[in-house]
Amino acid sequence: MGNYQIVFGDLCDLLNFETVMPPPITKRTIELGSKHSPEFVCVPFKYNLGGYIESLDKGAEVLIQGGGGCRFGYYGEVQEEILKDLGYKFEFLKLTNSASVLVFLKDFKSLNPKLTNYQLLRGFLRAYLKIRAIDIAEEIIRKNIGFEKEKGELEKIEKSFLGELKKVKTVRGIYRVRRVYLRAMKKVEIEKPENPLRVGIVGEFYLLMEPFSNYFLEKSLGKRGIEVHRFITISSWLKHGIRSEGHRKHLLKHADPYLKYHVGAHGTESVALAHELYKDGFDGIIHVKPFGCMPEVNAMASLQRISKEKKFPIMYFSFDSQTSETGIQTRLEAFYDMLMMRKQNEKS
Amino acid sequence: MKTKVGIPRSLLYYKYGVLWSSFFSSLGCEIVTSPKTNKAILNDGVLLSVDENCLPLKIFLGHVKYLKDKVDYVLIPRIVSLKKEESACVKFMAAYDIVQNSFEDINLMEYTVDMKTGKHESWGFFKMGLKFTRNPVKIIKAYKKAKFELQKHDEDRTKEQEKLGKRSKNLKILIVSHPYNIYDELIGKPIVSFLQSQDIDIVFSDLFDHDRAKKLSKKLSRDLYWTYNKELLGAVEYYRNKVDGIIFIVTFPCGPDSLVTELCQRKIKDIPIMTLVLDELQGEAGMKTRLESFVDIIKMKKGEA
Repeated sequence: MGNYQIVFGDLCDLLNFETVMPPPITKRTIELGSKHSPEFVCVPFKYNLGGYIESLDKGAEVLIQGGGGCRFGYYGEVQEEILKDLGYKFEFLKLTNSASVLVFLKDFKSLNPKLTNYQLLRGFLRAYLKIRAIDIAEEIIRKNIGFEKEKGELEKIEKSFLGELKKVKTVRGIYRVRRVYLRAMKKVEIEKPENPLRVGIVGEFYLLMEPFSNYFLEKSLGKRGIEVHRFITISSWLKHGIRSEGHRKHLLKHADPYLKYHVGAHGTESVALAHELYKDGFDGIIHVKPFGCMPEVNAMASLQRISKEKKFPIMYFSFDSQTSETGIQTRLEAFYDMLMMRKQNEKS
Repeated sequence: MKTKVGIPRSLLYYKYGVLWSSFFSSLGCEIVTSPKTNKAILNDGVLLSVDENCLPLKIFLGHVKYLKDKVDYVLIPRIVSLKKEESACVKFMAAYDIVQNSFEDINLMEYTVDMKTGKHESWGFFKMGLKFTRNPVKIIKAYKKAKFELQKHDEDRTKEQEKLGKRSKNLKILIVSHPYNIYDELIGKPIVSFLQSQDIDIVFSDLFDHDRAKKLSKKLSRDLYWTYNKELLGAVEYYRNKVDGIIFIVTFPCGPDSLVTELCQRKIKDIPIMTLVLDELQGEAGMKTRLESFVDIIKMKKGEA
């Protein structure tokens, strides 16, 4: 899951398991996953399954699966059957299907009964701090990668940052790494025009956070000279997960009058964000989803209406295992050209 | 002038149509039901819909379009959760908003069932009833009558299927399909007609008692939380050794079915299974050929036994 891999490794250490890090996602991962997945299941399932197969091949004996959301809660049982049919022997631990953080912590503890509450909370605190650091760093990079005086500076710093963050084990250490590297990133020379093009990226959780699955869309867009904003991260999910009913009401207020009710997973968020970003004067948004993703498709009727009524550019991307990289790049290019033209027309 | 309430003959109509007709009739409304799905309705629905919506939802939009200017309200139920630990497919949660945003100026009548937040069906109906009368007793009576009629309707159909099974000597095929697929004129009817023309007795999984089905479904799947899929899965478990073959009918790209069908295919190995995935570009010829071969396989197997 993108840069969050570091954190998952730490959490597995809490469980006293020897962590087998799945190899970085490659074409092979998704090909393996697709081959053994039901034909039109949503693509996160396929990436997930591919990752499991590669981990099992590397010697993993225990697999952990989360839950909640739309189809995600049912992934585990089907993946278990598929992997057993492929002949693998393993133990499959399915965490809660609930969106409640407390229930999640309880289930997590049951995986290693020797874990004390103190160790559990300390472990999660460190994980949380690392996640925060990663999310803040990614935000700086997203917004500025298109405007570096010396191309590539930010990515260089990012690489060192992640390397250091992976190694550090204490709360103090995490704060130190964060301070040092965020400062370095903010020091990078940036040449940004007064009113840069601002584009928001909204849509489905997994695709937004796993850069490989969206074909590195954020950086690709950013590098063209666009200030990219994304609002759905693990930090935001943790922040809102604790009082999800309240958060939903808040979202629906923003989505009004384009949504009256919650439409599933992050679909409501997509509409709320689209509306807010339009009001904030963004130049456009990109909607990202797996092919067939029910909640996001639900949101699209509302998104299309916002786009039409407010003349707000929205580009829709649907990803599956066979999506063409060139196709994505071509469309991004066209989107950029369109936004530039609109901006110039506005000026004159 | 009687208020006209439009009921789309699609999606949950096949489960609750009797409930709705009865309730609104008791309150003095005129019920207008859209016709059986035809090519025009399908085309309208496809044009109105985001491409990646499942076929039943596209057809549903076509039905809504048909009704829109002919009635005072189009009824769109919102089923989020029928039981605390269960969910309905998110399409049922979002149908209201999808319709509202797909049409300019449409009057909708809606109610929500969400047991996760304590929104009971009776309360939803009560609120709708208040649009037609200030008398709460009248509304409650109408709702009770409607519930009774729906229950009787379902029980009759279940009993009829049980009786049929006992009488005939024909080959039996279990059809596992959401009611809005198998009973739809365009989606399921051609399949049903064809099979019946081959002297096959069709057992419809959705007619099996739902409470029994949900309990039985646990034997096939522990984690399943989609109510309507649990109802179908339980029937599969019950009938798997009482029929000669099973046909799964799935519309593209149904989310829950994509996973549940896969699970069934992996867990059930002792009986011929066929899966038909249907989309709006259906070629009848191809489908008939597959059904014919499946029927042949079953006949052969039975002949061997």
